[in-house]
Formats: sequence, C-alpha cells, structure tokens
Amino acid sequence: MPGLPLTDARAQYPGLKAFPADPVEDAKTLVRIAEWCGAYTPWTAPEAGGEALEGGGAGAGVWLDATGCAHLFGGEAKLTRMLIARMRRLGFTARAGLAETPGAAWAVARFGQTDRGKATDRKDEVGRIVPPGGVRAALTPLPIMALRLPADVIDGLYGLGLRHVGDLLNVPRGPLTARFGEVITRRLDQALGRTFEPISPRLETLPMRVRIMPAEPLGQSTDIVIGLKRLLRQLEARLRRKHLGVRKLVLSLYHVDDEVSRVSIGASRPVRDPDHLLRLFAERLEDLDPGFGVEVMALAASVTEPLSPEQIPLASRRASAAPAELGALVDRLQNRLGVENVMRFDLRESHIPERATAPVPVFHTGPSASPAPSTCRRPVRLLPQPETIEATAMIPDGPLVMFRWRRVLHRITWAEGPERIAPEWWLKAAPWHAPWDLETRDYYRLEDVEGGRFWVFREGLYRMIGEMPQDPPRWYLHGLFA
Amino acid sequence: MTAYAELQVTTNFSFLRGASRAKELITAAAELGHTAIAVTDRNTLAGVVRAHVAAKEVGLRLVVGTRLDLQDDLSLLVLPQDRAAYGRLSQLLTLGKRRAPKGGCHLTLDDMLGAENGAGEGQVWIVLPPEGKSPGATFAERLSGIRERAAGPVYLGASHLYHGDDGRRLKHLADLAMTCRTPLVATNDVHAHATYRRPLQEVLTCIREHATIDEAGYRLFANAERHLKPPEEMARLFTDYPEAVARTAQIAESCTFNLDELRYEYPDEIGPDGCPPQEVLVRLTWEGARGRYPGGIPDKVRGLLERELGLIEELNYAPYFLTVHDIVRFARGRGILCQGRGSAANSVVCYCLGITAVDPDRIGLLFERFISAERGEPPDIDVDFEHERREEVIQYIYGRYGRDRAGIAATVITYRTRSAVREVTKALGLSPDIAGAVNGLVWGSGGGKPIDDDRIREAGLDPADRRLRLALTLAEELKGFPRHLSQHVGGFVITRGPLSEVVPIGNAAMEERTHIEWDKDDLDALGILKVDVLGLGMLTCIRKAFQLIEQHHGKVLTLATIPPEDPAVYDMLCQADSIGVFQVESRAQISMLPRLKPKNFYDLVVEVAIVRPGPIQGDMVHPYLRRRNKEEPIEYPSAELEEVLGKTFGVPLFQEQAMRIAIVGAGFSPAEADGLRRAMATFRRTGQVGNFREKFIDGMITRGYEQDFAKRCFRQIEGFGDYGFPESHAASFALLVYVSAWIKCHYPAVFAGALLNSQPMGFYAPAQIVRDARDHGVEVRPVDVTFSDWDCTLEAGETGEVALRLGFRQIKGLKEGHATVLAAARTKGHQDDGYQEGGYHDIRDIWRQARLGKPVLERLARADAYRSLGLNRREALWEVRALGPEPLPLFVMNRMAGRPPEPAVPLPSASLGEEVLDDYAALKLTLRSHPLALLRPELAAQGAVPASTLPDRPPDTNVTVAGLVICRQRPGTASGVIFGTLEDEEGIANLVIWPKVFERYRKVVMHARLLLATGRLQREGLVIHIIVTRLVDLSHRLDALAEGHGQPLDVPAANATRHRVSVRTSFPSRDFH
Repeated sequence: MPGLPLTDARAQYPGLKAFPADPVEDAKTLVRIAEWCGAYTPWTAPEAGGEALEGGGAGAGVWLDATGCAHLFGGEAKLTRMLIARMRRLGFTARAGLAETPGAAWAVARFGQTDRGKATDRKDEVGRIVPPGGVRAALTPLPIMALRLPADVIDGLYGLGLRHVGDLLNVPRGPLTARFGEVITRRLDQALGRTFEPISPRLETLPMRVRIMPAEPLGQSTDIVIGLKRLLRQLEARLRRKHLGVRKLVLSLYHVDDEVSRVSIGASRPVRDPDHLLRLFAERLEDLDPGFGVEVMALAASVTEPLSPEQIPLASRRASAAPAELGALVDRLQNRLGVENVMRFDLRESHIPERATAPVPVFHTGPSASPAPSTCRRPVRLLPQPETIEATAMIPDGPLVMFRWRRVLHRITWAEGPERIAPEWWLKAAPWHAPWDLETRDYYRLEDVEGGRFWVFREGLYRMIGEMPQDPPRWYLHGLFA
Repeated sequence: MTAYAELQVTTNFSFLRGASRAKELITAAAELGHTAIAVTDRNTLAGVVRAHVAAKEVGLRLVVGTRLDLQDDLSLLVLPQDRAAYGRLSQLLTLGKRRAPKGGCHLTLDDMLGAENGAGEGQVWIVLPPEGKSPGATFAERLSGIRERAAGPVYLGASHLYHGDDGRRLKHLADLAMTCRTPLVATNDVHAHATYRRPLQEVLTCIREHATIDEAGYRLFANAERHLKPPEEMARLFTDYPEAVARTAQIAESCTFNLDELRYEYPDEIGPDGCPPQEVLVRLTWEGARGRYPGGIPDKVRGLLERELGLIEELNYAPYFLTVHDIVRFARGRGILCQGRGSAANSVVCYCLGITAVDPDRIGLLFERFISAERGEPPDIDVDFEHERREEVIQYIYGRYGRDRAGIAATVITYRTRSAVREVTKALGLSPDIAGAVNGLVWGSGGGKPIDDDRIREAGLDPADRRLRLALTLAEELKGFPRHLSQHVGGFVITRGPLSEVVPIGNAAMEERTHIEWDKDDLDALGILKVDVLGLGMLTCIRKAFQLIEQHHGKVLTLATIPPEDPAVYDMLCQADSIGVFQVESRAQISMLPRLKPKNFYDLVVEVAIVRPGPIQGDMVHPYLRRRNKEEPIEYPSAELEEVLGKTFGVPLFQEQAMRIAIVGAGFSPAEADGLRRAMATFRRTGQVGNFREKFIDGMITRGYEQDFAKRCFRQIEGFGDYGFPESHAASFALLVYVSAWIKCHYPAVFAGALLNSQPMGFYAPAQIVRDARDHGVEVRPVDVTFSDWDCTLEAGETGEVALRLGFRQIKGLKEGHATVLAAARTKGHQDDGYQEGGYHDIRDIWRQARLGKPVLERLARADAYRSLGLNRREALWEVRALGPEPLPLFVMNRMAGRPPEPAVPLPSASLGEEVLDDYAALKLTLRSHPLALLRPELAAQGAVPASTLPDRPPDTNVTVAGLVICRQRPGTASGVIFGTLEDEEGIANLVIWPKVFERYRKVVMHARLLLATGRLQREGLVIHIIVTRLVDLSHRLDALAEGHGQPLDVPAANATRHRVSVRTSFPSRDFH
C-alpha cells in the first residue's frame, strides 16, 4: 500500500521485513530485463521512470516492438505466453499486452481482461491481445489510469466523474484541452493510433555494448573465443572514438535453453587493448560450458573511464611502460587468484597496535583510515605475535629493570611509559583470542645497555590482594624500535 | 591523607560525552574521600542543579563551574568564586549561546577577557593544554597573555592519562607553568565515575561522531583512565608535583559560591509605588471577595481568608500570588479566558483574586494541606489559557518583565527505551532490522527487568549474540541520560534581577525563542519562582461559545456566572450524553458517567479523577462505586484516616489523599512524603521506588492496617506517578466540565459551533461533533461561498431555532487567509461595482473579486461550496478548471464576456454514494447520508443490525454490527485490551477486543476503515459493549460507493491503490499513538 508509514505496516504485520527502496537498482534490473528480451526482438526498451508512475504505481514495464517477429515464435499468442512463462522462470511476475499502438498495449497489459478472464490465477496468465482494428473497443471500458496520465490529471478527471476511457471519448476535445492541456488528447491519440509514438530502443542507456548473433548456435568454446575476439575489436573501436577505457567488462552468453551466463573481468586501470582484455578473459573462459549452444553473445563495458590516446615515446620506453606492466601483472594475478586474494596493507583505526593495519585488496579504493595520533609511538617492527619475556619491574606501574627474551638478558638503561591500552570490549571473545586480547595492556618503551630498543607490555593491570600481587604479572615483547 | 578535589568533571549533561550522572559522580567522589568536586560540563550549567542536590545529600562541597570550549581552539575550566562571578559566568554563557544555533555556544577569549563585561573577574581559570600534542610556543604565549589580562587567578591544568609519555609531558607542563607563572593543577579529566562505564562512554562517543564502534578508532579514548580516582592515587600519579594536587583543594576552598544563594527573589514591581506586597495582596483579596460575594462575605469565607492570608504572610508568598494575579488580570482585560489550577489555586485567596472560578466552599479543600512551611517551596499555580491566545499572554510577560528577566524553562529530553535501543544498536553496528526487533522486545517489558532468552528467540534474534546482549545492557544504562534541552511548554521563570545572571539562556529550535538551561525540577530544587502558562483548547471553545451566546442570545456569561448545580446538566451527563464535553467525553469516561451518576459539583471532581491510572491500578474504582451506590458499607481503615478519606467514602482517589495516607497511615514525615511524590514523578526515569515501598507498607502494617489495603494504596501511588491527579487539579477541571456541559445542554448549536471553531482539540473529529449536534436537533447547513465565513456561524433557522452554518475551516487544506478574503470580497467587491445586494454571481466573479488562485477555487469546488450559485460539485470543478492561470483585469474580462460559448459538456451525474465519499474527501464529514445507510441493505444481508437497536437486544447474546471505525484505543491500564468504536448511520457501537482476538485480527483491527464485528453483547447499566469474537474488514465496500451503482469496474487491486488511499485518509479515526 503506497504511502503507508512503515510503523503502521509493522503494527499490522509484526513479522514484516522491510527493505529500502532502491530505484537505481530497480532501473538497472529493468534495463537487464529489456536486454534479455533482446533475444526476441531487436527493439526493446525499458519504460522511462515517469511512465511507470503515471500509471498510478502500476508496475514497471518493458517495451517490445514485435512487428514482424511474432511469426518466428509461432504467432502473437504464443510469443506473449512464452515471454510471461520465461519471465516467471526468472522470478518475475509479468503481464503482457499486445496491440497496434504502444499506448493500447500498455493499457491492456495493466488493465485489460484476459481471454479466459482469470487474471488472478497466475498459472493461467496469458497475454492480452487486442485484435487488429479493435483498439477503440478494447480501451473504452478501461479506467482512465490506463492512459498513462499524470496523477493530477487523473485526480481532476475523477472529480468530474470521468472515470473510464469511454467517458473521455464522448467529451468534446476543445473544452477538455482548455482544462487539462493537451496531455489527454495526446494520450488518446497515441493509444488509438491517430498519432505515431515511437519506441526508443534501449541502446542509449548502455552505450558501450556490442553483440553478435551467429547464424548457428555456438557449441564449442573455441567458437566462443573467436566471437569474443570479434566483440573485443568492435568494442575497442567504439571506446577509442570516445576516448574511453574499461574498468569492468561483462560478457553475456544467451544459451538456447533460456540460460544466461555471464563472465566479468576487472582491470586495475582503464584498458581497451583487445589482447590484454582477451588474456583476462582467457583464464575465466576455460570452465565455461556452452551447454546446448549459445544464440547470442553480448559484451558490455559496465564501468568505463576516460583513457586518452597515449603518446608513444621515441626513447626509453621502459620507464613509462613500468606502471602499465605492474598493472597488467596485478590484473592477471587478480583474475587468476580472485580480486580478494591479491592484497596490500592499509591503515585501520584501532588503538590496539596489531589491529592498526589490515590487508585490503590491492586496488581497494575505500577511504583510508587516518593514522594513529602522533603521541602513539609505534616500533618499526611489530612481532607477528607478542613473545613472552621474564621481567623485573617496579610496582605498581613502574618501568622494567631488566628482562630476558629468547634466553638473552637485557638490562634496561632507559624506559618510558606506561602507555595504557584498553581492550576492544565489543569484539567477540573467540576461543582463538589470546589472553592479551581481553586485558588492558601497559606498554613501555625501553633501551638496554647495548642500545637495543624494545617495546614491551604487561598484560592486565597490577592488582593487589592485601600486600601481595594478585597474580605475578605476565610480560611480553611486542616490537623493536630502530 | 591527601586533600584532593577533582576539578575537571564531565557529567552526562555534556551531551554524548559524560558517561555518569552527577549523582553517581558525587556519591563516588564522597566515597573516595575527595574534599570537594567541581562540575565542569562543556559550555553549560545545565547539570549543576542536579549536582547541587546530590552534593547536599551526601554532604560534599560542590564547586559550580563550566568548561569553556572557545572558538579560538582553547579550552579552559572556569570556576566562579562568588555569586557575582557566577552571575558573570552565566551571562557570558548566555552571550555565547545566543550567538550560536540551538545547542551551540560561540565564545572567544576576547569575550572572556574583554574589559567591558569583565566576565573573567572573580573566576578561577584553569587553562587546559591541547590534548595529544605537546603544547608548543604558541600555547605558551597565549597562556602568558591570559595570565596578564585575566582578572582572576590563572592555573594550568595537567592530567596523567597513561599516554606513555606522561612523565615527559608533566615535566614540560610544569616548566611551562613556571615560565608563565600559572601554577600547575592536577585533574583527571573525569568522564565517568568508575571504569565500568567505559563501554557506555565509548558508545556515547560513537553516537556523537555518527560512527559505529568498529570504525570509531582514534575518536575513542585509548583507555579507561578518565574516571574518579582516590586522592592517594592522584598523589602517586603526581609524585613529582605534590603542590599541583594540594592546589586542587585550595582552589575548591576559594570558590565559596553555593547555588542556594540563588534562592528566589521575587520581582519587586508588583506593588504600586513600593507598597509592601502583602499589603497589596490583602487589599486586592478583600476587594475581590466583595465582588465574589455581593451579598456580604460569609463568615466561613472570612475566616478562611484570614487564615490563608496569615499563612501567605508568614511564608512571604505575597509577591508570588501577585505575579500570578497580574498575568490573569492581563488576560481578563484582553478577554482571554483563563483558569488557575494546582495546589494553591483552589484557595479562597485565588478565588477572590479571580485566578480560579471554583468556589472553594463548594469543594472544601484545605489550603494548609498544600502550602506548608515545611516544604519551603513556592506554592504551585498553573494557569490554563485559551490555546489559540496563549501566545499573547507569553508576549505580555516578556513585555512586562523584559526578556532579560523572564524566560521559559527547559525540558530535559532524555533517552527513552526506544531511542536508547535505536542509538546503541546503531553504534554497535547492528542493522536497523535488529534495532526494530529489539525495540519490539523491550517495549513494555518494564524498567530494568532482564529479557529472557525465549523472548529474544521469539523476536527472531539469537540470545547468544554477544553484541545483542551488549546492546541490551548498554541501552538500559543509557536510558534516562539527557539527550538535549528543549523548551518547556509554558513554564515561565521571572526574576528580580537579570535572569541571565541566574542561569544561562540559550536559543530554542524555534526562531526567536529562547529558554533557560534548567528544567522545572531544577527550579523547584532551588526554590525559584515559576508560573506555568499553559494552553487549553476547551477554554478557547468556551470563550467562543460565550461570544456566540452573547451575539445570538443576548446573554453575557463568565465561568463564574454560569448558573451552578443545574439538574438538567447532571441529567444529561448521567445519560452519558457527553460528546464534546471537557474531560468526560472519552470512551472510558462515557462508560463511567452512568455508573457514577454525578449529581453535584463534587461528583464531577471525582468523575474527573477516578478514570486515571492511579485509582485504576490501585483498584479503588469499584469499591468507590459500590459504596456510593450503597452496595457495601462505608467504613474507614482507621479513625485518623476517616478525616482524610471522608469525602470519598473511605476510598482514596486523589493524589493528596495518597500522600496523606503516607503521612497519617504509614508514618512518613511530610518531607519524606514529598520525597515519595518526587520519586513517583520520576519513577519511569530512575526507578528508585523500592525502598519507599518497603517503608510504606511496613509503616502501614505496624500501624495496624491490612496488608492488602497497604499494598493497594501503594500501587495507587505508583499509578499517580505517571499521571498525578490531585484533587485541586480535578476541581479546576470539574468546573470546565460543568461549564461545557451546561453550554451543550442549553445551547447545542452554539456548543457544536464553538467546538468546531476551536479544532483541533478534544477527543472527537468534526464529523462526530456535527452528527451529535444534529442528533440534538440542531440544523446544520453546508459550507457555501455565499454564506460561510472561516469559522462556523449561526444563522436564523427555519423553526425559529438557530441553525449552524459550517465554516470554510472545515475544508481540508483551505487557508484562513483565503477564506477571509473570500468572505470580505463578497460584500466589498460588489459595492465597488455598484451591485446592490451582496453575494457572488458565478465562479469567474469570485475569481475576479477575491483574486484567489485556482487551487483555492478548486478546493471550494471539491467541498461542494458553490451550490448557492447553482453549480453542483462536478459542474463547479469543470468551471474552475477552465479558468486561466491569473485573474484578468476587469476590462479584459468584459471583452472576454463576448467570446463564443463552449459546447455544452454533459458530465456524468454523481450518485449519492459518490457525493458522500467526495464530501468525506473534502470535508471529512457529510450532511447528506451516512455511508452506512447506503450500505445497509448489503450489511443487513450479512446479519449486521443498526447500533441503535443494541439496547433492545438481550445481553449475553451474539450480535453483529458494522460501522466506520472512528476510534481505536489501547489504554495502558487495560493490559492489552483494545477498545474500538464503530459508527453507523444511527449510532455508535463499542467494541472490546481481547488480546487473543486482536492477535488473530491484528491486520483488520489496525487497518480497517469499515468493520463488521460479531461478538457477545454485554450491558452495564446504559453502557453496551460488544465482546468481539470475529471481525471482517469491509473497507473495500467504501470504495465501491465511489463507483456508484453503475457498471462494476474490474480493476486489478494493485492498480487501484491510488484512489483508495484518498478514501482511506478521508475516514480518519482517533487511534492510539
């Protein structure tokens, strides 16, 4: 129910699950559906956002110009039924309308009666097909919402008691236009076929897309590679014209059995070199099964970035080629091992020293954390694990006098501290957590007689029971200063 | 033993920084042996009164202060040494706050040092070195600069916070202190009273920084050291600087200012020409008394007056009474209706001064009971004004005392369960879904009780989830923490000197509004005068009714001159005929009226007070009714309580009685009883009631009362905690009950008109008010461009009675300004044109004369307001649609007059059902036919009977009714039972829906606009309920009305939603929120 506040909805259905609306993602899905319908007719387009709204929230739609295509699928009825069935297999509830004009098709798809009159039973869902010359008759009983009118116009017409398309057909055009502008007469004319309404194909929405439709379905991987090469060359030409390179590329294979398989590759820098891109694909295509055959291959650049034509230097080619080569290496590693498996270190915000850095994917572009405050002096080398030491120290939180690490005794000549770091209480206490993860640590910076500089900590605060320390404190060496 | 006083303390009034309440900090400091404690919240004094109260309780010296975070990137603690310095600090904060948007404070060092305001004088300054980095040369320079320019002693603060380099840092600061001659002072930058508050402190930081705990990183403190530490520990941390520790106690010693010094000084311009206030009060009171009792002041009243005036003199309250009197006198002069209530308001003095119209003789309240020397607080008088005109009164107060001396109190907005859970779960990085589920869990679980695993599982959550557990615990801890300050609805503070020298004043969210930093409890604790200037819709309604009566019936009435004890009025109320009547119109009250059968004014006082959580939870209602109906003997638990409970047949009903039982029955001292009352008032926030409970029940049992009675009394007190309803308030309200009932009884048309003209107020929507008026024989006429004004008006009716003409205000979305223009141009424009008679000829005429835009004219059309011009709704809409964007100048219009006529367009004519629905859509009411009347044939087929036939049906039989849902309620006192009210064309039916049934029909109950309900008929006197067993949502039948009775329209449900929504909103119901 549009307009119902979430809290009210929750009161009615306590188990309600809520998901935020994502119009951007919805629009993308619609584009994908339109693209998928491309297997039936070259002319498909997702409905523009406004049109769906004009129907009073009557669902999103896809335009298909089936002129001259229907017979390929056994006629109009079969075509619409097949479309609905296939959409259902993809997980969508769909209704289809077919008429001489886009407007009428739109109207019957949403508001029309089915032949069998059982619109509620989804299994029986069939297309609503307006026979030639039957548009006016089909539209007359439909509600005015079927005319793709703006909400305020529908409101106005409702107030006047004009609720069906038939009511409007009786009203003289002049007075109607004087009151509502030309939108009603335009929509009427479009629906009735008095004016031509073109369907703009969807290509505009995904400009960097190339496709091939082989005469025979492709059954061999080698054929697919050949097709891919063609696509890559086509794409390169278009990218070059627009001075673009791709960061992400999606190859879609439309199989004869309705399956669509996709392979996507990513590049660390914008690329358009077909050979480079083919190499990235090559490692992924091996395990691709053509199945019963591929009807259509399409290649879409989903992320593009500007890539200027490069000046080829006359001398010292090596120097300028270096970043590109590193990039190519990383791309290959990533595409072979997986993006998430090629890592570098980045800063993390944590007072706990070993958590202040974390590995991230090499080309992770998220915001980098701010470095630790300047007061926190950290050693150049942090041991992978704090190592137990035997230490002699002043109580309760005085510095160490000496300690033994890896069987070597260190006498301390200079010490500073403690820097007290409390544990991150919100982390789950997992079995693999070492005790020092759960206790406050007191860190000291030390220098021994030999000039070695160390970073050690005591685990836990110093607590006394009566005159005696509660437990002998445990000490660890955690890092070495330069 | 080391003497140490913590001087840098951040309480939870530094919002989202401090993790402990002032009370926790002060108790902890006292236990640790600090010699004193300062409270230095950031740029505010909002928390100091709580600290003051807590410090007095434990006997610790409190140093009032603040931490100023200056615009020039410098922070310092400011501790005023005496009253004058405190005043300057308060003024400085006011300056900073007035400059900044709500919640902010913009101050610079120059403001502090500036010679002209001398804010620095008398203050101890403790400059805080920048956190983190080592203070450099710039800081040293500034410190020296401050040292040279400041009027008071300047110190340098230093803390040992275990950053690793503390030794070096302290040495550096000590050197700096030496160079700059600003002695070093030890502090511990306290943010919590104990280490265990670290998680809460960090969650607060996350909330403040809008970060989750996982990403908050360095914005969190590295450790938990910023808590109160024992003096010995402080001495150890500052081993090398013992004088820095010793200095803290010396500084605290030098700050002698105590908040008790602010004890209220009344404004002194009240008496004319310096006449002593008591003298003025005595004179005004006796003058008033002679006015109230034109036939001579009765001896009893004379005696009461003398006693009350004596007490007022003894306690020096005369200026307070005069202040209230002055405000009331202003309102009266402006014709603004007002009425006092509160403990002192029902005194004979207030009656004579005109502050209240309740003749105290009629109810016999004892003045001493509410003003006692012991409590030592100013008396409590709230004054209600007409809600539409309260602003005038507020402006008067500002005008009379100046904005510098009058201000509105703050309301401390605290974290409630819901907000605490929401913020904590967010800070812990849990998803909003989980927050929602947790909220469902916590809701209604009562304070403090741990939630068991099963319930967590039921909500679809994992009880073993550690974060979830943490969230529940931390949310519980956060509950009751202040979140921000807001403006109190009407609590005014008036002072003798500048208010900003008493308490800082800041900007409110609303423009041009300011409020002080303290709330009512704070003002109470300090004994500062406050007057509550509240808005009450019923007063607006009564004043408008008085005006209509004067205009149309020629009678002048006031609250005090309404004929008292009119039996017709009581008869009407006994019949539960009370729609629109103040207070007793709610569902619960309507069912109580026939049971209580009020026969006199005091019965109304009881009626107002009895349907409240206190008496209901204390199970006092039924005993009272039984005794009143002589079904059980009236007996008193003891002779001493007979005096307390005599008027209510031995059953305690009022808050005062409960308090008296605590004193007389349980042996509380008056001060303890007052403490109990306070604990109750803040029960929800703090939950500190347990020890009172024990003492109360034990006390009563020791004095020989039944344990059961004792427990019930205490439960009742707990109920009062939520909505305390004292007899003195009930008495003031009862008068308004009587007055409004009297008007309804004798002038139903006036009453309905006044109610409609005062909306929004009360319990019922205009549709029910209009319907009730018609049921009482009032002729109601539709809104019309030719006859209506903005307000509803009275016209000469056909039968000689007056008729009620609905005003433009009933039209949804129409603005008052447009309606006024429309009504004014109706006469004026035509005179210009030389027309003889008033009125419009057609829509173009209105368009031209009133120059109203098309949307306005369309609203009028949708409301079917052009009937007098011969246009029905659709014709009018068609006409309006044809208008151009702007009214054309007159000469163009004339030329246009000759343009060719449009072809006639036959619009489909509207069915009755369509007209009714369109009426509801535009007006939320209809005068045509009730929608249920149209649906009756099909409803009858489904077995539904009209509501009006219910009284003739035998009880305990099954019955089915149908109606529009006009009200859904789930009272907190009814343990999950839902009360619903259905309206059909002949009456209303009351539904009782038990929780089990509700669960089954939840969606229907919450959602339906038209409901078919089957259930068992239950009758109690005149009151009929249907105990629902089955519900059917028939809302779609309303939509069917819109389709007329023409061809059915088969529109798939999902596609028809938009028009449905408009129907949904046009049948509004008053629901639980």
